Amino acid sequence: MKYDQSRIRNFCIIAHIDHGKSTLADRILEKTGVMQLRDMTDQVLDSMELERERGITIKSKAVRMPYRAKDGVEYELNLIDTPGHVDFTYEVSRALAACEGAVLVVDASQGIEAQTLANVYMALDHDLEIRPVINKIDLPSAQPEVVRQEIEDEIGIDCEGCPLVSAKQGVGIEDVLEDIVNNIPAPQDDIDAPLQALIFDSYYDNYRGAISSVRVKAGSVKVGDRIRMMAGKCEFDVTEVGAYLPLGYSPRESLNAGEVGYIAASIKDIADIHVGDTITLAANPAAEPLPGYKPVLPMVYCGIYPADGADYESLRDALEKLRLNDAALSYEPETSVALGYGFRCGFLGLLHMEIIQQRLEREFDLDLVTTAPSVVYKVIKTDGETVMIDNPTNLPPVQEIDWMEEPMVDAQVITPQDYVGAIMELCQDKRGTFRDMKYIEGGRVLLKYDLPLNEVIYDFFDQLKSRTRGYASFDYELKGYERSDLVKLDMLLNGEQCDALSIIVHRDRAYPRGRSIAEKLKEAIPRQLFEIPIQAAIGGKVIARETVKALRKDVLAKCYGGDISRKKKLLEKQKEGKKRMRQVGSVSVPSEAFMAVLKMD
Amino acid sequence: MKPLSLYIHIPFCARKCAYCDFASWPGREADWGRYFDEIEAEIRLWSEETDFGLLSEQYSIATVFIGGGTPTLVDAACLEGVLDACRGIAPFEPDAEITVEGNPGTLTPEKLAVCRRAGVNRLSLGAQSFDDGLLKALGRIHTAAQIKQAVAMARDAGFDNLNLDLMYALPGQEMAQWRDTLDAAVALGVDHISAYSLIVEPGTPMAARVASGAATVPDDDAVNAMQREAISRLSAAGYERYEISNYAKPGFECRHNLTYWRRGDYLGLGCAAHSLLRGRRFHNPDALEDYLSGMRRLDEVALTRQDAMEETLMLSTRTARGLDLAAWARDFGAPFNQGRERALARLEAGGLIEAGDGFLRLTTRGMEVQDAVVLELMGETV
Repeated sequence: MKYDQSRIRNFCIIAHIDHGKSTLADRILEKTGVMQLRDMTDQVLDSMELERERGITIKSKAVRMPYRAKDGVEYELNLIDTPGHVDFTYEVSRALAACEGAVLVVDASQGIEAQTLANVYMALDHDLEIRPVINKIDLPSAQPEVVRQEIEDEIGIDCEGCPLVSAKQGVGIEDVLEDIVNNIPAPQDDIDAPLQALIFDSYYDNYRGAISSVRVKAGSVKVGDRIRMMAGKCEFDVTEVGAYLPLGYSPRESLNAGEVGYIAASIKDIADIHVGDTITLAANPAAEPLPGYKPVLPMVYCGIYPADGADYESLRDALEKLRLNDAALSYEPETSVALGYGFRCGFLGLLHMEIIQQRLEREFDLDLVTTAPSVVYKVIKTDGETVMIDNPTNLPPVQEIDWMEEPMVDAQVITPQDYVGAIMELCQDKRGTFRDMKYIEGGRVLLKYDLPLNEVIYDFFDQLKSRTRGYASFDYELKGYERSDLVKLDMLLNGEQCDALSIIVHRDRAYPRGRSIAEKLKEAIPRQLFEIPIQAAIGGKVIARETVKALRKDVLAKCYGGDISRKKKLLEKQKEGKKRMRQVGSVSVPSEAFMAVLKMD
Repeated sequence: MKPLSLYIHIPFCARKCAYCDFASWPGREADWGRYFDEIEAEIRLWSEETDFGLLSEQYSIATVFIGGGTPTLVDAACLEGVLDACRGIAPFEPDAEITVEGNPGTLTPEKLAVCRRAGVNRLSLGAQSFDDGLLKALGRIHTAAQIKQAVAMARDAGFDNLNLDLMYALPGQEMAQWRDTLDAAVALGVDHISAYSLIVEPGTPMAARVASGAATVPDDDAVNAMQREAISRLSAAGYERYEISNYAKPGFECRHNLTYWRRGDYLGLGCAAHSLLRGRRFHNPDALEDYLSGMRRLDEVALTRQDAMEETLMLSTRTARGLDLAAWARDFGAPFNQGRERALARLEAGGLIEAGDGFLRLTTRGMEVQDAVVLELMGETV
């Protein structure tokens, strides 16, 4: 097809979870014929097992589809799928920046929900043309007319003639495609200007190296061009450019203004590709990069250790492989007295951390011990030096600390009015400072708080979900550091400090946290030959104490008829069990105990 | 000549007890004849040259234990036949200890007389309890009165070495009932008492009862208290605890069982019987059909030095004598304490072990948690 911007449509699909985003994407792929029915697995774009299982998209993806519309013209549709979680807000914003329009999917029986609104606001921020689609009209409880009215009233988008579809049954898909072609604007980018290609995703391909997914905003790029990463400040020679098909690559001679596709340039390290960065040509660079670039910094750190020390190398290899595809993941070796050799890993947020842990366990079959997540604290020492601390163990001695600062976030909660009280209470509990409250469409309220990040990563999401029955949506952005009365809470087992269990916590929180962790440890540590005192302490002062009582009875009564196999088997099992435990001084601590610090009442 | 112990398994009983998961089947009288034919064939095999050479040239038989099941259920002449056949394996030592296990409900003076004639000099009776209610709940076929009759019958037949098996930690068992049982056993003046804590084995009717909540086993503290009660009552009556579950008047320790704990050579004959012969372990199949079809010597392994060390540790520490430190150093080429200094110090300070006169032994408290102590002593080096 000849290059013609007026025939290009770049769009994404946004929806509240479970409103049918992935199914609609599948149907669109099917309808445009890029996927044959026989190639279809459910949710084609969510290719990772985890993505399908959790129903969330972790990586952005783009697919190009040819579509001959009713006006007889063949269009080029680029669907850019976006991640759906607050940890990946920045990635989402870059993907949206690559589009001109968004298809807003709303469930015909559920109507507008919290995420629907959050997504709409984000799309509006990027000046996207929003095209509502009412899905699941096949459900007996579907009320398309009511939902249509709701969209008009609450979001203020004209819903006249919006497609009514059942993605599940394949009804109305063509209407969606026609609506996209007719109402989402074509890109109007300047092909003659110097190249500006927005990177909205990156990943690693074994044959092509690290690849950038891009939207060309100006100019064009072709094989052989020398490109420059404007923020990354490095240069590469382009080896391949092209468009994505659902199951592979479609190489082209060039990628031009308005188009979406990929650029491969034999890039070995994915760290050289920054999402949000602008690619330009070394020979004829753009004067300015595209707006909106932010370096991605890990917000949350935790220690990841192999449950079996012998798996250290395998863990390193696995992290290296995941890192190939995930520039936001960082890791470096660390050692713990209790846990041995492992890695300090940095993540965008808790979900990102959880995803990485699960991928390590599933895709690489590793048993892990994970320490409590920590944010990065700023420590100003008495000698004037400032150090950043992402591991409580590395905190300087109290007498060397002048003061400490903790990272704060701008938090934004959108909630139905009924839950405002509950959320304010929660934010207060979490040491939040109230900033603003606004009534928005549909009886909803926008609450703004300043919150310490270390409270957010603790159990904020779970609490928010349970206190609002899942109706509130939450978004945050790092704001900066604030001075705070922080202390290091240590846990002592049988009098010996266990480094992997230390956390940094606000002084007001130390007592309840210490008591709760001690209780959790008491449950997690099995009885042993001797009584084990568990103590929580701040700077040597014990603030909570629990005791694991000594084992009462552990003996096989009878070795019958010279058959010692049972006894041997039992002992083997116990030996195996002990091997899976960590020795903290004389105490055997099971792996789960290290997660006890995380768990809530 | 080295001492050899023989174990002969009789997998038949009148009724399966509620807690039993041993190889034993009620009924099956039709198989009894074939079974004894097979055992005698197996004995003949061991009487001839095998891959272990000719046993009769290396060993003398020090102990024989005919266990079950209920050996006293079958015709005593069959047991006599088996014992006679065993003389072909190796010569019996003049003072060989020959035990037959029996159920008090199956004894007759005639059977006992045949056993005596065949050379049996020790009788081990499965008494379990002197409480008729508990006996019934366990599915035993006898009453407390029958135990007393059986002991009298055995004494009359000339048995001067008698053991009673007792069980505690039974569902619903009160300390008072356990005391009465201990006292009753002592009053009968038996020479040896085995007191086993009930193990609820998966797949047994007992396990189903416990799982459904119909039966509740006493908690660990109650079980320990019962064991301590046994220790104090029995020692007051002159029975010394020489192994975790075994008590004997001086000179009446069961030499056969000591063979297991000291890792002496033993040969198991019959269904489900286990053997340790010249550093190799093997066993016969558990299923009667498999045994009758000729399957033998399963899972045979030559024990490594590591295996031998672990076995020595876990078996010897069951006994009051304890682990022989000099023998350890000689057999394994390194002092036991080496690499275990810290664990030993902790265990000793905690009152779980004591060392002296060349042996390492568990204290009363240590024996309550023997598995955990052994695990601790295995350490990283073993």
